[in-house]
Amino acid sequence: MGEGARQGRGTVAMAAIFPVLRGLLFAGVGLGIGAGLAVLFTNLTGRPAKEPVIALGYVFALIGWLLGVGMWDSWAKEWFGGKAHIQHGGGVGRYFRFTTDHKVIGIQYLVTMVVLFLLAGIGALVMRVELADAGQNLLSPGDYNTAMSLHGIIMIAVAVATIIGGFANFTLPIMIGANDVAFPRINALSYWIVPPVAVLLVLTPVFGGFDNGWTGYPPLSVVNAPGALLFLLAFLTFGLSSILGGINFVATVITLRAPGMTWSRLPIFVWAVFAAALISFIATQWVAYALLMVILQRIFGMPFFNPPGGNAVMYEHIFWFYSHPAVYIMILPAFGIFLEILSHFSRKPLFAYKWVVRAFLLIVVMSFVVWAHHLFTSGMNSRIHLPFMVLTELISIPTGVVFLSALGTIWRGRMWLTTPMLFALAMVFNFLIGGLTGLFLADVPTDIQLQDTYFVVAHFHYTIMGGEIFAIMAAIYYWFPKITGRMYNETLGRVHFVGMTLFYNVTSIAMFVVGTAGMNRRVADYPADLSGTNLFITVASFLLAASFLPFVYNMVASWTRGPKAAANPWGARTLEWQTSSPPPLENFEHPPVIDDPYGYGSPARQPVAGPAYGAAPGSGD
Amino acid sequence: MNRDTITVAALWAVLTVIGEALVIGIGLFPAPLAEEAKIVDEAFEHLVILGVPVFTFVVSVLVYAVIRFRRRGAELEDGPPVRTHGKWVAFWFAWTTALTVAVIIHPGVTGLRSLTASHGEDPDLLVKVTGQRWLWTFEYPEQNVTTINELVIPVDKLVRFEVTAPDRDVLHSFWIPAFRIKIDAVPGLVTHTYARATRVGAFEEDVDYRVQCAELCGLAHGKMAATLSVVSQEEFEQWAKGRARVEAR
Ligand code: HEM
Ligand SMILES: [Cu+2]
Ligand SMILES: [Cu+2]
Repeated sequence: MGEGARQGRGTVAMAAIFPVLRGLLFAGVGLGIGAGLAVLFTNLTGRPAKEPVIALGYVFALIGWLLGVGMWDSWAKEWFGGKAHIQHGGGVGRYFRFTTDHKVIGIQYLVTMVVLFLLAGIGALVMRVELADAGQNLLSPGDYNTAMSLHGIIMIAVAVATIIGGFANFTLPIMIGANDVAFPRINALSYWIVPPVAVLLVLTPVFGGFDNGWTGYPPLSVVNAPGALLFLLAFLTFGLSSILGGINFVATVITLRAPGMTWSRLPIFVWAVFAAALISFIATQWVAYALLMVILQRIFGMPFFNPPGGNAVMYEHIFWFYSHPAVYIMILPAFGIFLEILSHFSRKPLFAYKWVVRAFLLIVVMSFVVWAHHLFTSGMNSRIHLPFMVLTELISIPTGVVFLSALGTIWRGRMWLTTPMLFALAMVFNFLIGGLTGLFLADVPTDIQLQDTYFVVAHFHYTIMGGEIFAIMAAIYYWFPKITGRMYNETLGRVHFVGMTLFYNVTSIAMFVVGTAGMNRRVADYPADLSGTNLFITVASFLLAASFLPFVYNMVASWTRGPKAAANPWGARTLEWQTSSPPPLENFEHPPVIDDPYGYGSPARQPVAGPAYGAAPGSGD
Repeated sequence: MNRDTITVAALWAVLTVIGEALVIGIGLFPAPLAEEAKIVDEAFEHLVILGVPVFTFVVSVLVYAVIRFRRRGAELEDGPPVRTHGKWVAFWFAWTTALTVAVIIHPGVTGLRSLTASHGEDPDLLVKVTGQRWLWTFEYPEQNVTTINELVIPVDKLVRFEVTAPDRDVLHSFWIPAFRIKIDAVPGLVTHTYARATRVGAFEEDVDYRVQCAELCGLAHGKMAATLSVVSQEEFEQWAKGRARVEAR
């Protein structure tokens, strides 16, 4: 390669990431201003302190970052009488820009989240090494707690944002026949808020780490190292992104459905995202209050959570008033994905569609009235135990409808067992275990023993990892041809599926065993008689990690060199398959034919557009 | 009823029998050493027994469908356009609701009742527990004894634990795995729980005779444990006297 060409490429790369560089520069300036002001104030009041400097510096840095990365050019200029300009255009550069195309934003989210997922996964392996044997001290207790807390909060963020921010962004507008989302600039804003969250979290070890877990219970989160302040600010910022995303999708589904796309024709994934988005924008502000109060107590010593006058149980209530609904922000879209896939790959209408929709809406309401099942051992008045136990257990009924629909859909179908379908089927199995073990935690007597043990850890890994992450994997393979315009390698996909399903289950079932045997969670050490099972879990978790290698290779290799995908490799009926792969800007070259998305097998249905079955992988088996 | 339905029903029945045989008496918990533990273990076992048929039902349908209804030809072919089926939906709601209500009543309401049944009674012994970073203090007000990281209680007596944490400390949780009792230690609040031990024993023989902190409290959270000995009433009195004298000196 000639010197000139290399230089040329360098300039192109610089130009591509120019908005990011400018964002960083502005962030630096903001940091200087904010931190400077805080230093000034704290010294004037005669109380120099570190944390106000961090907090104010961060707020200004965040504003600087957002303006620099593109909010100024494409939005804020307008507020001062200027003319805003949104840059679209192709090439890799658009992924590093404040652009409003929902498909670009979807890819930005997806790539960011997959990277964070793998990072947090490495954190899990670090913990498992420490836990391989009792009495080990490979990590200091503080480092263990930081690894555990980082793993937790990053995974929670991945679980909250991947489907709504990633898949719903890419596919939902197309599925309802829209050109974009209702508030494209808010959409871009909600993405560009995320990188600062990641940066804050990654920086926590530099500030002494944080040992309060993802739940951040005070008074611990008030008295620990400044790393915890970074955690609190990160969580708060992430919540803002979540609220903006929620508002956007609620508005999009209500206002932008194409003519003919009636509520009763909405694909179930759209319903699921709609339900989750409702929760997201109603509930998230509660956790923001809770976090803000902790920050205020840290910085100004306001006595919210310590006596006299305050107590920590209050925080637990406010926190779970968000965080229980939040588990449905995670799982409802996952339900949407696997039901969608089961129907298209069984080539049968989604069974009991209307009941599923009702169940989703009922779950939205009920998710707000069960939060105190996380507080059965908190010391709250025990008169509240009974109603919360009953309400929690009643959620099993609408949840059961989802299983009815899944099983009814595959029954007598013509199941095409591709990688996405296999992941969707595995999710039915995993979530079954997740849901059934939830009952043990809803029942007060058993929860008193199991609360804060590895049984809880296994339970929520079954719901979040076994349920949601499996659905995300299904979705990645399912929409890969649509998003990238290329086909993934089916053999590698199946290898990934077999490894992940097997080792995931082995790892987590063993966690139930140590949990019931008396191992509590969030500890770096445990009684010696549990070391055999723990070594087993550690080995299994490394095998589980290894099962992701074919996945990563498949994604990278297929995205760059995979065979070109047809518009509709699955012959599926929802609208995103009626446009090219990848879809053009504004999504449709011709207005799509809007028909029943689940009209399989009925003679009255409209045929789906596009070369239906071309270039599909493994279509012979 | 057609062949597929009957086959699945048979598969379900077989798997359920196997499943129940495997789980009954599986004994995942440490030995139950208090009355409270028996209530919890019974509730747990009951939930497992009820959960097995649900699990095997879904697994039977899933496995059978994957084997029987996978596509065989090369071409995509549609299944029957069945959208819903009133009877199956009704059947589904009936059994999921019945099961949920059953679980709410037993072990839910009944378990909660029996667990709190002793709470009105006059306790035989009061122990004031303080959790702080990172140790447990036990105060026996009537015996005038205070210990650190060492809990001694008499067997067959109802013990009331009053649990708290210092104002400037953080949350902890007072957990005795062998007793299945757990209650948080909250700065500024006094929480309480009860236990009646059923057997003498000590930490030296069984690690589940321990008080373990179960709420993340920072650096040494995992190591924040105290030993527990359950002894006869006479031994307890002797022990308390010995300790009280030491205190008084
Ligand atoms: C069948 C429905 C479910 C029931 C009955 C249920 C019940 C519970 C209960 C009672 C707890 C508190 C356990 C304790 O600490 O004592 C819990 C914890 C948890 N659940 Fe679930 N759950 C269900 C579904 C889900 C779903 C769908 C998710 C996420 C997608 C989820 C994620 C979690 C998480 C993250 C925790 C741990 C919270 C912590 O850090 O303490 N659960 N669940
Ligand atoms: Cu909850
Ligand atoms: Cu503690």
